Amino acid sequence: MMIEEWRLLDTGLRDAFYNMALDEAIAIARSKNLVPDTLRFFRWEPSAVSIGYFQSMEEEVDTAACDERGVSYIRRRTGGGAVYHDRDGELTYSLMANQEHRLISRDFQETYKVLCSGVVLGLSLLGIAADFKPINDIVVGGRKISGNAQTRGMNVVHQHGTILREVDPSTMFRVLKVPNEKIRDKLIGSVEERVTSVNTVLGREVGFKELKEALIHGFQDAFRITLVQGDLLRFEERLAAKLGKEKYASEGWNFRR
Amino acid sequence: MGRAEYKVEGGKLVKVQLSKRENAIGEIRITGDFFLHPEELIEELENKLEGRPFHEKDLAEHIKDVMEKNEASMLGASPEDFARCIMLASEDDD
Repeated sequence: MMIEEWRLLDTGLRDAFYNMALDEAIAIARSKNLVPDTLRFFRWEPSAVSIGYFQSMEEEVDTAACDERGVSYIRRRTGGGAVYHDRDGELTYSLMANQEHRLISRDFQETYKVLCSGVVLGLSLLGIAADFKPINDIVVGGRKISGNAQTRGMNVVHQHGTILREVDPSTMFRVLKVPNEKIRDKLIGSVEERVTSVNTVLGREVGFKELKEALIHGFQDAFRITLVQGDLLRFEERLAAKLGKEKYASEGWNFRR
Repeated sequence: MGRAEYKVEGGKLVKVQLSKRENAIGEIRITGDFFLHPEELIEELENKLEGRPFHEKDLAEHIKDVMEKNEASMLGASPEDFARCIMLASEDDD
């Protein structure tokens, strides 16, 4: 039997606007059948805060604190909550697949579980006992290590998610709005009870390379696919540049709600 | 202007901000960390809620109708949760 092949991309460190634009550009390319189903890894430089499609930038993000620290802020095309994407603390993945793919069901909750199984298995290969936790989280001993968000359109499923390698609670709660100043320190303190990371669980420094390798194997085994290192099409690169500039970097998009 | 936040049990956070026109919804904005597919439907939903009276059951039914017509689905919140949060916002800051 032929093993199904997906394209594997690693776009490295890029800014928030390009990162979110490229996800959309790949989804569009996939919908036009220009590219195969794709798994992409990426990181954020500079660090950034992303908010869910339905969130309000003013309500969720302290944009002045972001500006002071050179942290970008952006609205995602997916729902869900506000996330601080640390340059050195987070690895992000995205996958764009045809909606008719055997892994995709009509039920969003079921599809989250199936697609997150690639991350769960990848973490287990590193020796981390992680579990999918509905609606869209992956946890270790009840503490969140990965958050995921999905959207569909043009017959393509697009899911992206974070894997925390290292946590930086103080920057996180500097750039995200807190209900009131008095509880900021309390929130920073309680992060340790609610959030964990690869380095924390394993008690050693895990590099991005090692983390990616494990996740690649996890996705391959969980999805029964082979990931083949590939390149972006000129079409995707050009569309990403255009969407990054005209949509994702625009005030109209980022402050629309 | 009325505002409310409603944490769905086992689900997400829904926030509503609205103005009142007599006993009906004036302008309304629904935000939060829930999932609604297709996402663009949120604006149509908000537009279609304008002018609707503050009646929890009817609001939930109306939201459900708009969703069904658009083959929409939600995760982490339901039409009933949106309606609940609208009612809470209507009681705020009279």
